[in-house]
Amino acid sequence: MTSQIEVSDRPAPPSEPGVGPAELARLSELATLVTAAQDAMSDDIVTRLSAALNEGMILLDRLTRNQALMRLLHTLERAECQNLLEALAEALAATSRDLAKGRAADGGLGGWVRLLRDPDTCETLRLVSVLGSHLSRNLQASRAPDSSSS
Amino acid sequence: MRILVVGGGTGGTIIANNLARRLSAELRTGKVSLTMLSASDRHMYQPGLLYVAFGQMMPDTLYRDQASLLEASIEFHVDPVKHFMLDERRVKTQSDRVFDYDILVIATGSRMVPEEIPGLVEGSETFYSEAGAIKMYKALRNFKGGRVAIVVGVPHKCPIAPVEVTFSLHDYFKTRGIRDKVEIKYHYPINRIHSIENVAKWAKPEFDRMGVAYETLFNLKEVDVQNKVIHSEEDTEYAYDLLISIPAHRGMAVIEENRLGQAGWIPTDRHQLTMEGYDNVYVLGDTTNLPVSKTGSAAHFEAEVIADNIASIVKIGTPVREYDGKVYCFIEAGHDQATYAMFNYLNPPDLKPANKSMHWFKMSYNQMYWSSVRGLL
Ligand SMILES: Cc1cc2nc3c(=O)[nH]c(=O)nc-3n(C[C@H](O)[C@H](O)[C@H](O)COP(=O)(O)OP(=O)(O)OC[C@H]3O[C@@H](n4cnc5c(N)ncnc54)[C@H](O)[C@@H]3O)c2cc1C
Repeated sequence: MTSQIEVSDRPAPPSEPGVGPAELARLSELATLVTAAQDAMSDDIVTRLSAALNEGMILLDRLTRNQALMRLLHTLERAECQNLLEALAEALAATSRDLAKGRAADGGLGGWVRLLRDPDTCETLRLVSVLGSHLSRNLQASRAPDSSSS
Repeated sequence: MRILVVGGGTGGTIIANNLARRLSAELRTGKVSLTMLSASDRHMYQPGLLYVAFGQMMPDTLYRDQASLLEASIEFHVDPVKHFMLDERRVKTQSDRVFDYDILVIATGSRMVPEEIPGLVEGSETFYSEAGAIKMYKALRNFKGGRVAIVVGVPHKCPIAPVEVTFSLHDYFKTRGIRDKVEIKYHYPINRIHSIENVAKWAKPEFDRMGVAYETLFNLKEVDVQNKVIHSEEDTEYAYDLLISIPAHRGMAVIEENRLGQAGWIPTDRHQLTMEGYDNVYVLGDTTNLPVSKTGSAAHFEAEVIADNIASIVKIGTPVREYDGKVYCFIEAGHDQATYAMFNYLNPPDLKPANKSMHWFKMSYNQMYWSSVRGLL
C-alpha cells in the first residue's frame, strides 16, 4: 500500500530524450557504417594514408617556414605579377606552337643577320636586357648588409 | 652561445630541431650556434623492429638519412665523442677534433648487453637490432611447433616490448594455424609479469585468455645452448625449442669509460634534466638514470622541456619548465588490437581495453614519427 502511495505521489520524471525505433534504426545504420569502414580499412591503407599525411605536413612546414618562398607568394599575389604569369604561360604555349610549325632557323652569318633585322628579335633583346638589369639591381639590393633583417 | 648536442637519435634530433625552431633568429644572426655530433649518418625508427621480426615491415623502411631530418641551421657531423671534458666545457671526437661548448646535451641512448649472460647470444633470437629482427623472423617462419620461451633482462629500453612480443607471437602462430602446437612461456625477473603494476594487472588476464604460461621471479643465469635449457638465478629451468630474449641494457660504453655514470646511466635531476653537478649539461632519453621508462616518448617529452629551457636561457637568462616524468606508450596487443599507457612521476597508467582504432593510431604513428623528430608534432 505504502509503496503505491509513494509511487502515485512522486512527481512525474523529467522526460528522457526519447530513443524511439527511428533513432535506433539510425544508430544501427551509423554502427554499420563504422563497421563497414573498419572492415574496408587495412594496416596497409592506414600506413599509406598516414605516410602521405606525414609527408604533406613536412612539405607544408618547409614551405611555410621558407621566408623567401613566402615573400615570393606575396609578390605573386599582385595583379601585375599575375598578368605577367598569364602572359608567360600563353607565350610558352604560343612558342611551342610556332616552333612546331616553322622551319628550323638558318645557320651561318647570313642567318644571324636576317634574325637581327627582325623587329621581334630586337624587341626580345630589349626585354631580356631590361629584365637582366632589374634582376641584377634586385640581387645587389638583397646582398646589402641590412636587407637580411626583414 | 655554443650549444652542442651529442647523439642523433630520437632525443637528440627532437631537441636539436626544437632549438633550431625556437632560436631561429639567434642562429641567423650568429648569436647562437647549434652543432650535433652523432655516431651514424642514418636514423632508425627502432620500434619498427618489432614489426620486422614478424614480417610486417621491411627493414629499409625504418631508416632516414639523419641530415635530411635536421633543420638547415644545425651543423651536423658524424664523429662520435670519445672524451667528455666537462670541467673544460669541451669534448673530443673519434677523429681527434675538439668541440667547445657553453651548453651540452647528452642523448647517446643505450645498448643491449646479451654477452653478459652465458649462451644468450648464440642461443636466443632478439628483435633489438636489425640483424636480430630479420633472423628472428626467419626462425619464426621455420618453426613448426614446440616450446617457445620468452626471457627478459632488466633494465631494457621499451619496457612494454615483452608483453607486446608475447601477444604478437600468439597472433602469429594463430594466423599460421599452428597455435595448438605451440606452448608459449613468458619469464619475468620480478614478482609480477610486468614492472609497471597496472600493465601487469591488465596483461595477466590477457595471457590467461591466450593460454600463455608465465613464471615470475625468473632472473636468467645462463642458456644451455646444447640442451636448449634456460636456467634462472632462482634455480628453476625450462626446456625450449625457440628462445626469444629481451636482453638487459646499459648506457653507451663511452659514458662508462668517461665515468659519467654507473653502467652508462648518467645521474640526472628529475625535473631540470641537468646532469648532477653540471648546470650547463642536459641529459635526456635512455641514458638518464631517471625512474621513467626508457622510451622514445620519454625522450620526446624530455626534449620539449630541455629545448624550452635552453631557449629561455638564451632569451631571458633562466629556465622556465620542469619535466613531470610524462611517458606515453602504445601497447600492441597482438596484430590488430592496441591500447596505451600514459603516466608520470605521480600518476600510474590506467589501461583501457585494447581496440582496433588504437592499433591504427599506432600504425599512423609509425609514419608520424618522422614529423615528430623534425619537431613538428
Ligand atoms: C625493438 C624496440 C621497440 C621499441 N618500441 C618503442 C615504442 O613502442 N615506443 C617508444 O616510445 N619507444 C620504443 N623503443 C625505445 C626507443 O627507440 C628508445 O627509447 C629511444 O630511441 C631513445 O632515444 P635516445 O635519443 O635516448 O637514444 P637513441 O634513439 O638510441 O639515439 C642514440 C644516438 O646516440 C648516438 N651515439 C651513440 N654513441 C655516441 C657517441 N659516442 N657520440 C655521439 N653520438 C653517439 C647514436 O648514433 C644515436 O644516434 C623501442 C626500442 C626498440 C629497440
